[in-house]
Amino acid sequence: MVDQICINKALLDGAKEVFETMVFMDIAEATEPDQKIEGWALLSSITFKGPFEGCLAVCCNVDCAKAIAEGMLALNLEEVGEEETCDAMGEIANMVMGSVKARLQNEIGNVEVSIPSVVSGRSLQNNLGDGSVKLLTRINIQNEYIAELSLLYRESRN
Amino acid sequence: MANSLMIVDDSATMRKIIMRTVRMSGLEFDRTEEAGNGEEALEKLGAEPVKLILCDINMPEMGGPELVRKIRQMPSCENTKIIMVSTESSQEIIDSSIADGANGFITKPFTPEQFQQELAPLLN
Repeated sequence: MVDQICINKALLDGAKEVFETMVFMDIAEATEPDQKIEGWALLSSITFKGPFEGCLAVCCNVDCAKAIAEGMLALNLEEVGEEETCDAMGEIANMVMGSVKARLQNEIGNVEVSIPSVVSGRSLQNNLGDGSVKLLTRINIQNEYIAELSLLYRESRN
Repeated sequence: MANSLMIVDDSATMRKIIMRTVRMSGLEFDRTEEAGNGEEALEKLGAEPVKLILCDINMPEMGGPELVRKIRQMPSCENTKIIMVSTESSQEIIDSSIADGANGFITKPFTPEQFQQELAPLLN
């Protein structure tokens, strides 16, 4: 079985690379484990399949998602609408997945990745069912927002 | 063909990000075009070719690899340079893109410096 610490590091490092390079925002692992995402949230997830299958997701509240869109697109907050916000969240998940995949290629082999999907609501979370591993990392974005990075996976059943 | 650029990506957000990164890299273009998929790109190139294309791989209607192969069959695009821009990073995908006729490959996420490094030599 793949080392979970190694995967967790890849997830965090991958997210840092994406946020710093494409969104111009600093992220760090949240120091308080009980920090939660409050209010209406967006969950952007992307699935993968290969020797391992699962999904990676980025979840944050709407204000955080709008700030991400603002950073990615170099827009003012007033210019950031629902479409831009969802699009930006989709791209974040897509790029974090790409970054994680590149870091773990030797451990998990080549995986095919889906198109990201974005949903909104409260208390959002992904579930892969029995026999899967769930890694959840809370991150602090710009010392202002909380987001959750999750990676659920299991060995392929094919 | 003056310095002209086409960005091909099914995500409007990603096209804006790429355009912004091109500006931040210091590269200047007299004309820029956008297309949401390979078919749309071919239609625009048929009317007027460009000097450089930045192209995603996974797109609906027609993906990047097929677009590259078709462009390489167009005499009017003989001097057009094509750089694939994708989250894919496996050597197999990169080699396949080059074999299809792409001139280079940039993996997302990317920086303005990477754009400057990869694209400037193709424009000179």
